[in-house]
Amino acid sequence: MPDSLAIGDQPLDARPRGGSAAVVERGGRVVAAALACCGAAVVVVPLLLTLYLSAFDESLIVFPPRGYTLRWYTGILPEFGGALRTSAITAVTATAISLMAGVPAGIGLARHRFRGREAIAMLLLAPLTVPGIAIGLGIFVLAVMIEERTGLALSGTVGLMAAAHVLVTLPWVVRLSLAALANHDMATEEAAASLGASPLRVIWRVTLPAMRGGIVAGALFSFIWSFENLDMTLFLTAPGVTTLPIAVLGYLQYHIDPLVAALAVAQIVLVGAALILLDRIVPVARAVAR
Amino acid sequence: MSRLTLDRLGKRYGDAMAADSVSLDIPQGEMVVLLGPSGCGKTTTLRMVAGFVTPTSGDVLLDGRSILRLPPHRREMGLVFQNYALFPHLSVARNVAFGLEMRGTPRPEREAQVQRMLELARLEALAERLPRALSGGQQQRVALVRALAIQPRVLLLDEPLSNLDAALRAEVGRDIRLLQREAGLTTVMVTHDQDEAMAMADRLVLMRDGRVQQTGTQEDLYERPANPFVAGFIGRSTVLRGTLHATMHGGDVFATGGGTLLLAGRYAADGACTVALRPERLRLAPPGEAGPGSAAGTVELASYLGAVREHLVRLGPELRLVVRDPTAGNTRLHAPGDAVAVRWDAGAERVFDAADAQLPFLHPEPIAPDTLGTRMTSDA
Amino acid sequence: MATTGQALRPARAAAPLLAPATLVVAVMLVAPLLLVLRFSLDRYDPTELMIETVTGANYLRFAADPFYRAVLRTTLGVAVACTVLCLLLGVPIGYRLARMRGRWKTACVLATVLPLVVGSTVRAVGWMILFARGGVIDATLRGLTGHGLELMYTTTAVVSGIVSINLPFVILTVQSAIETIDAELEEAAQSLGAAPGRAFWRVVWPLALPGITVAAILCFILAMNAYATPYLLGGPRFQMMAPLLFWEFGTNNNWPFASALALVLMTTTLVLTAAGNLLIPRRYRI
Repeated sequence: MPDSLAIGDQPLDARPRGGSAAVVERGGRVVAAALACCGAAVVVVPLLLTLYLSAFDESLIVFPPRGYTLRWYTGILPEFGGALRTSAITAVTATAISLMAGVPAGIGLARHRFRGREAIAMLLLAPLTVPGIAIGLGIFVLAVMIEERTGLALSGTVGLMAAAHVLVTLPWVVRLSLAALANHDMATEEAAASLGASPLRVIWRVTLPAMRGGIVAGALFSFIWSFENLDMTLFLTAPGVTTLPIAVLGYLQYHIDPLVAALAVAQIVLVGAALILLDRIVPVARAVAR
Repeated sequence: MSRLTLDRLGKRYGDAMAADSVSLDIPQGEMVVLLGPSGCGKTTTLRMVAGFVTPTSGDVLLDGRSILRLPPHRREMGLVFQNYALFPHLSVARNVAFGLEMRGTPRPEREAQVQRMLELARLEALAERLPRALSGGQQQRVALVRALAIQPRVLLLDEPLSNLDAALRAEVGRDIRLLQREAGLTTVMVTHDQDEAMAMADRLVLMRDGRVQQTGTQEDLYERPANPFVAGFIGRSTVLRGTLHATMHGGDVFATGGGTLLLAGRYAADGACTVALRPERLRLAPPGEAGPGSAAGTVELASYLGAVREHLVRLGPELRLVVRDPTAGNTRLHAPGDAVAVRWDAGAERVFDAADAQLPFLHPEPIAPDTLGTRMTSDA
Repeated sequence: MATTGQALRPARAAAPLLAPATLVVAVMLVAPLLLVLRFSLDRYDPTELMIETVTGANYLRFAADPFYRAVLRTTLGVAVACTVLCLLLGVPIGYRLARMRGRWKTACVLATVLPLVVGSTVRAVGWMILFARGGVIDATLRGLTGHGLELMYTTTAVVSGIVSINLPFVILTVQSAIETIDAELEEAAQSLGAAPGRAFWRVVWPLALPGITVAAILCFILAMNAYATPYLLGGPRFQMMAPLLFWEFGTNNNWPFASALALVLMTTTLVLTAAGNLLIPRRYRI
């Protein structure tokens, strides 16, 4: 046994270093850093250019511009105010509904083991793996059929849009709720129950607070996913009831000018400020980064 | 041969010194244990040796050459992690082979070495299992032989036993010690558990707040603690802060927390000081006359622990002593409320001055009880 | 996660928690997709619009016409290219993000989330100014070499646009997968002699593979489904499935054929997703 454990006693520098391996190692690190920089650039550069473009004093995209102006920012609300409102209402409604249905589902999946659990988990996450353009078409067709049978006005309403968006926001809430409970010790719930809390009270006082980060992250992703959903919503809008992405798309068909860039900048600034404020109350970054 | 030297090693995080000029010289084959409460800088020190933390000052030398500029993967140190850090996607054999693969060891040699290591760990039968299918003790042995397989120049153990249950701990500790000694491995182990440290070390380094408090053998730290912290940590002495009054003759009087002790020895000091008393060197006696090395009190808690019995004796409103004495002989457990006297010899007490330096022990002299009585009333 | 006590709880206890969500998905996903399947078997008539029947004519039309096959090929090519690029760019970033600590991490995660709130349509504008005639690249090259370079309405433009939209999702998914891999495993590999790069490939990569697969699938689906980017950056002659489908639906009012296209798109996506999952060694599969 002792001879098998003989200690290497050459000086460290005399030990094999693997010359080519070291080159590969260093090369790999350089390539990885370069790719990471490229990636950051691919995301950031268009946004910076958008910021730049939003101040162009041109009504066509011409580079370099004649001059700079902030007048585009004043045009945002008159042009996109209605769509912005529709989008916000839709996203808030969809997020609220998916929280109400998704958080309990997350708890149910995390806390119970039963036959068919895997199947239900798959079903609840499935909307993320089905092309939205197919779902959108299907929901429109379904709404039209229901209208024909019952006479209810469904197509082209904010309600239908919100209901459709719930489908794609729900999986995010379920997924992040599940993740939030994965590292949570069940013993705390048992402790609460042993101290006399009823099952509902246990959920309200122990489980939900423990999931706080996951719920906030889920709400955030829901809102984002609904707010910028285009493929499904394409089929569901009507004249006067249009979400922001579709209004932008329509606008870009006829004019390519800095107004849309100004809109993007305004959105980033507002949402960025909201996120930073929110992060002080709930660590959003940590919840998202799970 | 590998001699590991830490030369005034320091790590600063912002304003805090995680490790502050830690110096240590470990000759070939010695096992040194860094011991201390959590946050004392022992793990930071180990990670600086392993290369995962860059020191802000000082140097790490292996056989007299600085290894600070070497990245971790070229330091040739076998590191055993507290949570073992076994690769969950690789079988036991592949875990053990990992280091040899990284070195480009030819396959026949590699397989032979892995086989030897698995035999050493008594894991031949589990070679193809994934780590999660092993018990904690088995995982620990895989982690150990994985580190040994690369024939490291230094073995580093980070709390290697803390995830094992108590029964297994002593056994695995002995295994590690035997392997280490047979292979003559220079070893640094980190632990917060003093029993573990006492059992395994050739030499101990007790740390607190990033600083080395004392370096020495178990006996050095136990018998000659450098300061009250060492005295309190090693052997869990009862450490009391109070005031010392030299008496004309006989032992000194030490008052604290509403109670008074009559020390066994005499010390060349007066005023604020610290006294450490070793529970296992105190004994219980029937209440009686006060004399040097005694105090009167009431039993509050009594437990029978098998080889020893333990009494918590209350000497004053804020003053309690733990007394641990052998159960052999005609000893019985006192009931709570019993009035008792605690007695000890000069060897049981350590007295430190206000600057935490140990006071030299002068010489015990008999003391007249009546003198003591007057002193005590005048104190009160 | 679950103790044995929980394992014995009957499904009845979970039913009220799961029922609402399951109902929503069943009504809003399963029913519409069944309807689309039914419609894809109907016949289109220019005057009557839709005639109820059972025919495979719509699928035959798709399979027989080289134009439609080319559209599917382009869509697949763009989606695969975007997925590969997103992984190449996103994995190094996701890894760095996962191993960051403290304030920088918070800042970088927020910076990754922020572009997501700006929809794909709006973000296409940033690329337009880069690629368009008289845009940044064109004008700069013209100034330097005398020859301009117009990238607008090319595959490059579409792929860049989609990559830039999908990349934050890929980064966040990869990051959260790597977050669960203890950094100590890499240190263990390094202490055994693996240089950091090697430690990544031998330890982090295999363990992160399930999460990376999820990221790849998400990216692939989003790319297959892309509407605004090909529409805005690809121009009228760059055809992908989603714009084509909407055109058949909205402009031609050919619902049966649009339904068939939707099912072709969906089936292709699901089959390739499943196949991609199979390519991964069994022990790493999700």
